[in-house]
Amino acid sequence: MVLPPRLDPRTLARQVRPISWQLFGSAFGLSVIGLVLISSASAELTTDYVSRQSVWIVAGVLVLVAAALVDYSVLLRHAFWIYLASVAALAAVTFFGHEAGGARSWVGIGGFGGQPSDFCKIATVLLLARRLAGYRSPVPPRGGRWATVAIVAVPVLLIARQPDLGGALVFVPVLAAMAAVTGVSVRSALAAAAVALALGGTLWIFALQDYQKDRVLSYVRPQADPLGSGYQVRQSRIAVGSGQALGKGPGEGTQSNLRFLPTPHTDFVFAVLAEEYGFLGVTLVLVLFLLYLGNGVRVALAARDPAGLLLVVGLLAFIAGHVLYNTAMVVGLLPITGIPLPFLSYGGSFMLFCCAATGLIIGLDLRRFVNV
Amino acid sequence: MEVVSVETALSSGVWKVNLETPGHEHSADRVLLLMAARLRWLAASLAVGFFVVLSSYWYFQIVRSEHYWELAENNRLRVVRLEAARGLIYDRSGRVLVENVPTFRLLIDRSLSTDLDASLAFAADILERDANELEDSLQRYRDVPRDVPVLVAEELELNQVARFEVAGDISEHPEFEIAAARRRLYRYGDQMAHLLGYLSEPTAAEQERDPTLVAGDMIGRSGVEQLRDRELRGTAGERTVVVDSRGRVAASGDVDRTDARAGESVTLTIDLGLQQEAQKLLDGKVGSIVALDPRDGAVRAMVSSPSFDPNGFAGRLNQEDWERIVGAPNKPLQNRAIHNAYPPGSVFKIAMAVAALADGLIDPKEEVYCGGSTRLYDRRWRCWQARGHGRLDLRGALQHSCDIYFYRQGRKMGIERIARYARMLGLGRRTGIEFPAEREGLVPDPEWSLTSRGLPWYPGETISVAIGQGPVLTSPLQIAVMTAAVANGGFLVQPHVLEGGARPPEPTGVDADVITFVTEALANVVADGTGRAASTPIVQVAGKTGTAQVIAQATWTRSEVLPFEHADHAWFTSYAPVEAPELVVVVFLEHGGRGSEAAAPLARRMVETYFGSPAQT
Repeated sequence: MVLPPRLDPRTLARQVRPISWQLFGSAFGLSVIGLVLISSASAELTTDYVSRQSVWIVAGVLVLVAAALVDYSVLLRHAFWIYLASVAALAAVTFFGHEAGGARSWVGIGGFGGQPSDFCKIATVLLLARRLAGYRSPVPPRGGRWATVAIVAVPVLLIARQPDLGGALVFVPVLAAMAAVTGVSVRSALAAAAVALALGGTLWIFALQDYQKDRVLSYVRPQADPLGSGYQVRQSRIAVGSGQALGKGPGEGTQSNLRFLPTPHTDFVFAVLAEEYGFLGVTLVLVLFLLYLGNGVRVALAARDPAGLLLVVGLLAFIAGHVLYNTAMVVGLLPITGIPLPFLSYGGSFMLFCCAATGLIIGLDLRRFVNV
Repeated sequence: MEVVSVETALSSGVWKVNLETPGHEHSADRVLLLMAARLRWLAASLAVGFFVVLSSYWYFQIVRSEHYWELAENNRLRVVRLEAARGLIYDRSGRVLVENVPTFRLLIDRSLSTDLDASLAFAADILERDANELEDSLQRYRDVPRDVPVLVAEELELNQVARFEVAGDISEHPEFEIAAARRRLYRYGDQMAHLLGYLSEPTAAEQERDPTLVAGDMIGRSGVEQLRDRELRGTAGERTVVVDSRGRVAASGDVDRTDARAGESVTLTIDLGLQQEAQKLLDGKVGSIVALDPRDGAVRAMVSSPSFDPNGFAGRLNQEDWERIVGAPNKPLQNRAIHNAYPPGSVFKIAMAVAALADGLIDPKEEVYCGGSTRLYDRRWRCWQARGHGRLDLRGALQHSCDIYFYRQGRKMGIERIARYARMLGLGRRTGIEFPAEREGLVPDPEWSLTSRGLPWYPGETISVAIGQGPVLTSPLQIAVMTAAVANGGFLVQPHVLEGGARPPEPTGVDADVITFVTEALANVVADGTGRAASTPIVQVAGKTGTAQVIAQATWTRSEVLPFEHADHAWFTSYAPVEAPELVVVVFLEHGGRGSEAAAPLARRMVETYFGSPAQT
């Protein structure tokens, strides 16, 4: 394994190149836009989500800087123990955690709540990156490909058990992307797809609650039951469509202000954007995400070692999975499930995850020149 | 040391390559190259994903934006109907007879209810009513869009209002809505039910005919409420408000507003005090009292007994109560003053006297001997006075209501002549009062006999008609019009209850001399005849009694010993003051017994009420 050495503080400033600034800038810009939308969406609510999210953004910046300074190879080396700790925390929360919105997924720290599933994402990517990179070593990792699948399957099943279908679902593209970059044969891909289907079927029968099934089914025909599960899809689509090209203006979104939109400050924050800032705002935010992901891909392409590359791919896959699923869900292309939009949605631990991921990617970029 | 090319690695699958390629230190760069190549493909497919998402936003925000804009507006805006206050109804002196009082109504927005049965069970519990009954009543609104709030119940008590408000606030039952509304209050309840009428909801067919009506509206069903429904109803307004997802009205004020225009008020010619007295007099009896001004036909009182309380109707009567009222034995919904006709009995002798005197056919001084009975057309005809009246002229015959006199003179006059003069005095045709479905009554003649019965006129029937029996039928209001014609010197008035509804009286064509003779005779009836019970020290009264047999009897039997439905109808018609008549009073008691005993005292009370101390009127 190629290990990048420590950063030299004297040359650090020079090593921060435009890619890193663009990554940070787009992430920060998206967070500020998110803050504006949350303030608009939560105007009618009693909880002050804006102040809380501001605190999370500040904490996020600190986490980002810290993650950038940490040597990722150290994290990779201890990936197994990090993973084990985070899975243990996840299991503890799944079975003993607070119940919120019908799911046990929260740990409370003072007035702020966090979801261990978000921290588990980083740990899982770390372990996957180390293991998949290990396929290149003379001593192949023990357990074969099934052990690789199991690394993902354990947190997925735990999260689905909470039940948080969306939180479980976003692990799938991560495994897919990392496996694809590592290289999978057609046979392995088909096998994986078959396993995924079988897993999905098992989940459908045993783990999914009725309301979750309703959501999936209502996605097929939202008009069939405008007040049941289809209501949210329909109201969200009305918010998006009525935003038109230029939007209704800041704070003027009737769908969100009059509470037709479900959870306008978290999962449906993009609908608020679409309603108040129109297609123009939607395009701007999607371009910022593309900028972020594009720069992330550039960092991955410049990585010095396969594990680093895979780590960035995994983190980006999480972010991209959230963005694509959330924006598609808001407009009714995919069933509604709790998948927040990175940087924009209100939520502490998810914001910290996104910042930590960004920090790790930037940290990789800072170490690109360092040679053996 | 084997070096694997990128191409080989791509084609053979990487996991296999890994295992076959030792010397990884040197292949690390190549592995990175392979991964980078795959990552580029991945990034490209990611871009495609973004493109798909952006395209779908383009579709909804640009292509279909108008549609969704409209949906958002429909979401946000709700048109609320502003109900117009129904006009008030006053008596002739401006006393309020019908008004509107505030009431709380419970409405339900069915689109906000996740489980309608549960919602209704919840409401039924608070209202202390049966859930199935509520469900049945909601059936009326089947065709109303689900998101339009519809009426569940009204006249809620304050504690019930509070419980629904709480349930709405904590989102437990956001589908319920409390609305302040107006309820029709008939201040005097059953005292003027037939005059004022009542309200009920329009039928589906009526709503179709009149698009301004919606389910839950109330329209006049009888009496003045029906007569002046259009004017009383007013015009509903509309306000467009912003509502949130739970249907709560946002505080931002009206987006658009057209105020409701209240209905016009209606003033009646009715005298409240007299009307109340009449109702009191008829309490527990079956019959009718009509009082009107003989100068212009303004109705001062019109009572039919038994009555009903229209307030029950205003609160949306349930089926059971409705059937109880409609099916009641004495038909309380019927206005006996105009909706039914009865044999007039001796009251008809007023018309007989006019017919006798006109054209000088009969000399009023001509005397007829009454021995209690007489034989005509091979039949024995009795006078009500079995011992006989002795010798009487027309004046005496009217004063003592001698039947024998009128039998004999009636035969002399013939049915056609009797019928002609009866009609001239307003009998046998509608009086023209504003209310619909007035009965014409019947003044029979040979032509009627042939066309309606298919029988030739039997001459003996003329004898019956001469004392107001046989086929002749009159309504109490017709008798009032006939009496008014005598009182006002020979003019037919058109009775009316709406202020300003007077039509100029039409001359009957009867000579003034004839009228003068009859008025003097009628004054004698009260002064010293069968109508003595109607005399009062307050004012001089003129009148005529009537006792109409319901079934033919071989001998005259006193009503008290007959079963109710066979007892005689008691009549008394009168006017006062004799010198310058201002009020005609007709009392009719169905199966009430003798006019002189049962009806005349009631007329006296009416006259005393009207002309008594000013405070009473």
